[in-house]
Amino acid sequence: MTELVIDPITRIFGNASLRVDMEESGRARVRFQAYGYRGLERIVRGAHLENLLPVVSRICGVDSLFHQVAASLAVEKALGLEVSSNLRDLRNLALWAQFFERHAISLFVHGLPDLLFPASDPGLRNLVSIYRVDEEVVRRLLGLKSLGTTVLREVAGAAVHPMNFRPAGAARDVSQEVRRGLLERLNGARPLLAETARLVKLILRRNEELVNQAGDAPTAYLALKGQSGMEIEGASPALLGPEAPHPALLSMEELPGKLREENSPSSHVRYAGLEGVDRLKVGPLARLNVNGRYGSPWADEELEELKAQWGFPVHRCLLGHALRMLEMIHAWERMMALLQGPPLEDIHAEVRPAAGRAAAMLEAPEGSLVYILEVSEEGLVERLSVFSPLQFNLRSLEKSLSEVSAALGGTEREGKAEDLLQMVIRAYAPCIPCGVH
Amino acid sequence: MQVAILSLSSCLGCQMVFLNLEEYFYAFIGDNRIAYAPLLMDHREMPNVDLALVEGTARNAGHFLKVREVREKAERVVALGTCACFGGVQGLANRFSEESLLEGRFGTETIEGAPQGVRRLLPLDSYIRVDAYLPGCPPSPELLRDFLQLLLTGSTPVREGSTVCAECTVVSPQLPQPGPRRITEAAPPTGICLLDAGFLCMGPLTRDGCGALCPSTMGVPCRGCRGPSSRVLTDPSLDMEEETARRISRATGTKREDVKAAIKDPVHTHYLFTLAEPILRRRRRGGTAPYLYRLGERGSGR
Repeated sequence: MTELVIDPITRIFGNASLRVDMEESGRARVRFQAYGYRGLERIVRGAHLENLLPVVSRICGVDSLFHQVAASLAVEKALGLEVSSNLRDLRNLALWAQFFERHAISLFVHGLPDLLFPASDPGLRNLVSIYRVDEEVVRRLLGLKSLGTTVLREVAGAAVHPMNFRPAGAARDVSQEVRRGLLERLNGARPLLAETARLVKLILRRNEELVNQAGDAPTAYLALKGQSGMEIEGASPALLGPEAPHPALLSMEELPGKLREENSPSSHVRYAGLEGVDRLKVGPLARLNVNGRYGSPWADEELEELKAQWGFPVHRCLLGHALRMLEMIHAWERMMALLQGPPLEDIHAEVRPAAGRAAAMLEAPEGSLVYILEVSEEGLVERLSVFSPLQFNLRSLEKSLSEVSAALGGTEREGKAEDLLQMVIRAYAPCIPCGVH
Repeated sequence: MQVAILSLSSCLGCQMVFLNLEEYFYAFIGDNRIAYAPLLMDHREMPNVDLALVEGTARNAGHFLKVREVREKAERVVALGTCACFGGVQGLANRFSEESLLEGRFGTETIEGAPQGVRRLLPLDSYIRVDAYLPGCPPSPELLRDFLQLLLTGSTPVREGSTVCAECTVVSPQLPQPGPRRITEAAPPTGICLLDAGFLCMGPLTRDGCGALCPSTMGVPCRGCRGPSSRVLTDPSLDMEEETARRISRATGTKREDVKAAIKDPVHTHYLFTLAEPILRRRRRGGTAPYLYRLGERGSGR
């Protein structure tokens, strides 16, 4: 039996390691190990709803707003609160900005350097090293990240742990002047976004062999299904089986009863899944396969080209990077549309203490994020359960890694196996702080 | 300068701020050699470095070993962010034993390879000597930039230290006001002191340096994410819960005991970021003065 250890896995969000044991039979036993449970679900018990968002935000500094909004939605549902469409628009604008920013990091800081220079020393495959030889390319790629950061900071008050939002409310809207400035900046970035999309398509085509090597098993897919394309909030959960032609809609009311969670034998990230579903994926592949389209003109135009090149539905995990690029275009289009409206009024609803229980689901950048919240009569958090994207993806990720390891069959040099396995991991864009919360 | 940037038990928010430094990010990676940063690069082993920025604190034995390694290999160690400086929100887990916390999540099953957890979460300098601190959850990009600029000159940042109120630009309303109130129940007025308006604002007890962004610009109460002010850390008679109750009582005309009774979640409200901070219980080894001297990001660079 041979053993491969990658510790730490680099260029991902958080600390994790990988152990692969190749058995004589050719089977590979994979353990994705991440430890450091912080107990935030337990910590938040007894907190007043005013303190709910500041606590859950600290689950993850990368996706902090998604945790805040998932908690807000659960509170609003649990207490039967009606929130204005204005508040939803404002929150969605901030969510799309964080979505855009997070994808830019997963793509440009973590994933793309492998595909740009697959034959080079892995030690040089990172933006810091690339910056030493070509400042301009790094500035352009991170310039896109800054675009999302800027919109997020203006709308939410800060890019990390923003403070503008509370359950059923926001402290302030974005002024007309700021809206105009952001629109101008987004408009100005359009050529760069288009050029980067071309680059991503090109390097994936150039690395076709690698894309085909890195895992392509069809799985079930879970995502929100919008009426006219991909949504990150306010749509119904839907499940697409590996062989099914169409996704089946699930109601938010029935979702908690179908969710399953169990310990991983070797990680503080617990497996999450759905009753009766063996292998599940959430994230960009799931969102596309469930929805079939994005629902915004530019992203859908780009999607047609991708479908012609790679087919549909999309199962190859490395294509997650191409879909992240398309989702950035979709997010750009959604931010443009949401910024064009007038300043918003009526963005605060009073939260009266009452008992209730509800679930909410969002499409965080990495994939579906589910919150189940119970509130006491005094308006205190009674119980919170968080199902993070990495939990849903973990079993599938380990199986992908096992299949890739078995296909390499121990014949590859260790360095190359390490490379490929880390590429697969980065294609899932796992977030460890969300996973271990 | 050779620099390492790493996280222990944390949310990664402080490293996200490092990526948000815009122009200064490029200057920093251009002028210095990033020798270890698993979020950005592929180094497996941390080499000897001049400066290590450590985000988060130790949650388990694996983190503890890493912390020791960092101290051995780094000329200067920085506690980056409120988790590293004071324990942060995750420090609220100190209300439970490690065993009950793990059992509540994983049952009695053994998780293979899981390092032994710490009995109680503590700030980074409970394990190793820390040379400089930058609290904030997270620190703003401007604060981080100024801090790094000063560190790179070889200085150890020091500061006089004041409170968020010193930077806040709002005015006091006529008293008394209704309260204690929560922002979920009523939209706070703009431009008015939120504490005087009866909201639970931690500004008077929290370190300055953030520009009072929450109460001044956003119109939301300070949560205390920059950690306790120097006065809170040095005055044994000053209790955060009592002090807030006293101020709200004065603003609203409600009896202090009634104010305290109305706050159903005192730990989350008063100690959201600092429950793990030993100095609040006067237990920091080596006394308070050297710690306070290093706890800052501005000053003469003595």
